[in-house]
Amino acid sequence: MRAKNFAPVMRGISAVMACLLVLSVVGTGLADSYRSALDSFLGTTSFVTSTDEDAARFKSDYATIEDMAAAAKALAVKEGEEGVVVMKNDNNALPLASNGAVALFGLAAYAPYPYTSGDLKAGNEDAVDLLQAFTEAGVTVNETVRDFYLNGILNKHTEMVPNMWTGEMQETVAYDNIYVASPGDMAEYQIVEVPPERYTEYGAPADWKSRIDKENTTAVCVFARGAGEGNTYAPGSALDFDGSATGKDPLALSDDELAVIDAAKETCSKVVVLINSGNTMVLKDIAKGGAHEVDGIAYIGVINDYQCTGIVKVLTGAVNATGALPDTYVADNASIPAVMNFGGGYYADYEIVGQNGTDPRYPGVDIANTEASSFGGSNTYNGGHFIVEAEGIYVGYKYFETRYYDCVMNLSYNAASGKGATQGSSWDYTQEVLYSFGHGLSYLDYTQTLKSVDVDKTPEGNVTAVVEIKNNSSQDGYFLAQLYVQQPYTDYDRQNNVEKSAVMFLNSGKAQVKAGGTAEVTITVPSKYLASYDYTNAKTYILDAGDYLFTAAPGSHAAVNNFLAHQGKTTADGMDADASGAVLTWTLGSLDKDTFSVENGTKVTNVADTADLNYWTGEQTVTYLSRQDWEGTYPINYNTDVQIKLADSPKKDEWIAQLRGQTYTIQDGSPAAEGGDKGVRFDTANIQYDQLADVNDPFWDTLVSSITIDEAVGAVIHGGSRSDVLTNVDNPVVIQNEGVSGFTATYTDEATGKNYRFNVHSQTLLASSFNPDLAYEWGLIEGNSGLWLQRFHLWGTGLTQRRTPYNGRNYEYISEDPMLTNRMGYGILQGCADKGILNGPKHMGFNDQEHNRGGVSAYMNEQKFRETDLRGFQGGLEDADGMAVMIAFNRIGATNASHHVGMLQSILRDEWAYTGLISTDMMNNLYYFNAESMVMAGITQVADFATEDNHINQGEGGVDKTWGYISVDTVKNDSALVEQARQNLKYQLYTFANSAIMNVSTEKVATWWDNALRNTTYISGALCAAAAAAWVVLTVLPDKKKEV
Amino acid sequence: MNAVKKLSVGAWIALVAAVLSLVSVILYTVNISSEGYFQNASVSNLTVYAVLAIVLFAGAVALGQLKLSGSAATAVELAAGAMQVAAPVLLALCLINLIAARAEGLGFIYFSNADVILEVQTPANLASASGSIANMACLGAATLAGLVGAFCSTRKKGA
Repeated sequence: MRAKNFAPVMRGISAVMACLLVLSVVGTGLADSYRSALDSFLGTTSFVTSTDEDAARFKSDYATIEDMAAAAKALAVKEGEEGVVVMKNDNNALPLASNGAVALFGLAAYAPYPYTSGDLKAGNEDAVDLLQAFTEAGVTVNETVRDFYLNGILNKHTEMVPNMWTGEMQETVAYDNIYVASPGDMAEYQIVEVPPERYTEYGAPADWKSRIDKENTTAVCVFARGAGEGNTYAPGSALDFDGSATGKDPLALSDDELAVIDAAKETCSKVVVLINSGNTMVLKDIAKGGAHEVDGIAYIGVINDYQCTGIVKVLTGAVNATGALPDTYVADNASIPAVMNFGGGYYADYEIVGQNGTDPRYPGVDIANTEASSFGGSNTYNGGHFIVEAEGIYVGYKYFETRYYDCVMNLSYNAASGKGATQGSSWDYTQEVLYSFGHGLSYLDYTQTLKSVDVDKTPEGNVTAVVEIKNNSSQDGYFLAQLYVQQPYTDYDRQNNVEKSAVMFLNSGKAQVKAGGTAEVTITVPSKYLASYDYTNAKTYILDAGDYLFTAAPGSHAAVNNFLAHQGKTTADGMDADASGAVLTWTLGSLDKDTFSVENGTKVTNVADTADLNYWTGEQTVTYLSRQDWEGTYPINYNTDVQIKLADSPKKDEWIAQLRGQTYTIQDGSPAAEGGDKGVRFDTANIQYDQLADVNDPFWDTLVSSITIDEAVGAVIHGGSRSDVLTNVDNPVVIQNEGVSGFTATYTDEATGKNYRFNVHSQTLLASSFNPDLAYEWGLIEGNSGLWLQRFHLWGTGLTQRRTPYNGRNYEYISEDPMLTNRMGYGILQGCADKGILNGPKHMGFNDQEHNRGGVSAYMNEQKFRETDLRGFQGGLEDADGMAVMIAFNRIGATNASHHVGMLQSILRDEWAYTGLISTDMMNNLYYFNAESMVMAGITQVADFATEDNHINQGEGGVDKTWGYISVDTVKNDSALVEQARQNLKYQLYTFANSAIMNVSTEKVATWWDNALRNTTYISGALCAAAAAAWVVLTVLPDKKKEV
Repeated sequence: MNAVKKLSVGAWIALVAAVLSLVSVILYTVNISSEGYFQNASVSNLTVYAVLAIVLFAGAVALGQLKLSGSAATAVELAAGAMQVAAPVLLALCLINLIAARAEGLGFIYFSNADVILEVQTPANLASASGSIANMACLGAATLAGLVGAFCSTRKKGA
């Protein structure tokens, strides 16, 4: 047989081998992604646990403490660079001329908020304030103004004040005149800004105005608003410098502040105002057309140790301005529908909840139902106060932009009605809104264009958008791209009360672009966030049929205008500006009630019907804001405009039981198994790869079954501050840490004696950076600092929605927008998780006002429940590997958020498949926080601030020291309660094992199928090449033998 | 009729593989555009690769019909052979990418927990799953046909 006849055989073999090669190469990647399932199916082991200290699972990225500190500082500076938002910039006021001069006005110019160290400010020795940052940047600061402010008005000194928590006297920074750092709880708020007419009283020379070179000086006026835990601004509560009530909004600029601006305008050629606050302020007077209009306005958030360096880099143009507003700035806060129901008030007959010694849990104790202080302290159920969040999903820009859209597109929706209007007899977006969500001016001209969008409509799928940024300027620069969507608003929605915002922020990204060049930014976000929650009909997430419009735009308002223009509208139809960018469409042919109706194997359905006040009243007491009829559904105040009586409810007894905290009642008749030594421990000998990988591994049930009844319940209900060692488990003690700007603990370098603090972050500036990558970088820094400090668990960020501007803790949170919060939360928590640090965000479940936070009932419908506050937490706790969360203080409906089985078990544990730790907020009221209800809801640790107290027998007579009706005897016959407590601890121990607390690494080893795949790749590759070569040779071989 | 008779076994197999590939593309397109779980769940490059495979099969058959001699004949034979090798490789790539993209969804539809399976196994989702499996089967058959065809010449002996 001639050799040439083998050519087709060789070709065939090469084809077979090439296919095998492709299959083995792609299959290797595929097998790797299903490794756990394959191991389980084939009985193989892909990982072994290493207990070698050098093989720690989580290691710091920094070799020395100096490197660690430098990285933290660099990140903080970057927050300043990326977070400054240029809101207004006329007459080239910004950037400031590099060789120019500035005159700094306003107390905050010399003592930016916050001026004392603590949660919000690290207080490192090398901290940089605004004045220093300007000076270091080479900007000339007018000395006359500086001197009379520093030496006369402010006069920095120290005072001894009691610690807020301990009462211990401590030295703190003080000034003769300074803005009020804590507005108090719905109290009067004095705006301490010294008016120019009084400057000379504080040491200003009589001719101070003439000592400013007007032509060459820009005035920079900095105004601050304080905030704090337990603090809530009260509308209309402002006092002026002299202490006189003005009736103005405390978040509006006071007459004294405006006088400072007027003096600045008189003495300087340009005036720039910097807003130093975590609460959105009312800037109508200085915005375009205002009586005190200034040239420039910039937002600088709440500043920590190093952000000023970055802020000044933006102000001087050393870097481009790329920040954007995380909230809408309005002309009058009364125009915000959520403000219609804010603060709260009593039910008409709230007293009927109180008991005079008749509560069987507390015999002989008189328990009232009155409001308590933010920090507790009285015998009360504190269930008398309520608010109705009747605005539904229409918080912030979702209200203003949707109403604007309907003014142009849907005239029958009564959007232009006078209801809710504060600036005229009919509602006009251009009058009500000063600066929209996502607004931020760039120094460098650029365009952002959506080039493509791909929607993977599967439960785990993503929206993937590519945005092209074109730098139209002659300088290299850094730029922001924002992705927005408009979901279809259909007849189905109108019939079933599913609300849709006309525009929804999805995500954003940034890129460096060369002068005149372009760059593409790929922005992704899980597709599930396109779905809306239908609480009335489908009772699950739905995707409506129709066109989903996507656009890239510099803010929510520009995005809406893009959508309107795409839909054929023009300024002739009422648009206030032309479109600025392209719109791409993804179309869904029919209503989809299935794709997002099951999440992580759990059927998604209503779990918060009782959060709706209408559930309790049995009638349509509450009308939720609907875009179908802006006029007819605009919220009333449910505390003053109607009277709610508990006694009138057809569910009166059930309602009162909830308000008394009786979500769960201890049962009898089902004995719980007592724990005991099961021969397993929380150690590396027992916890190997399989146990680290799967909370459902039988080991964990065995481990927690060893916990005694006393400790199982005790460790949950006394788990705050630190988690103690459990008998038969031998788990390590884990200490919890504050705070929202990073670990507040101090690292002391033993070699040098130098102190380092790493809580250098600014949540407000991170938020306005609109950069989720920066959030991840901060998460890594936070995680690394935990490794250096040997602290592994902190309450290190806030993700509650900023529902109104008045909340005193808005500076801890990200935005009015759930998705910006969601993406930032994703970054922060993932960064920490990648370093093995438990970073628990605060305060999941509508802790959106501090006023009466420890008991106020927040009523709402389930669409709001799922799509607003909870969505902000979902990114970090479901999409990322978040390992801890702190639950809200308030009630959801009448139910304490920490008792809410629907939120904690159904959503958090089941739908989101969250396996981390769940903590309450401060347990300061035993009549409000009910121990057994918290256990049954899935709380893993009640924050009670005690240590070595994980028992229920430490009180007099062997009962619990806090809840005297609880003892081993009273719970031992409730097996459901005891087993739930053990399950809660299982999650907590599992989380500790997977964190730097245990810090063991697992090493991957090759299984037989890994080897088989690898060998197949090599062998098929070699054979493919050999067969192909043989085929070519045999084909080209001359047919010489034939001729012979 | 003459042209049909002139086709070699290899050419016939290539044509069968091409037809199976075409059916796969149609099944795929129908699957992702129909209501159900995999609606809009496109698989990156699948259509491009499958269409390219069809073109390669057709090219191999067409080149096999050219009557050339000498080095030109050898060059054409190498080109046709290369197409016969490349086409099933592309189809194999399509198949494994499709399996990778569908595995989780199929598991979700067929093997979900009892409490949710009724919600998941809607007629539309089951039809979508069946369509996807048929798509995989067809791609597998096309790949196999292509591999068998690679052992045979698309040029008839003596032609």
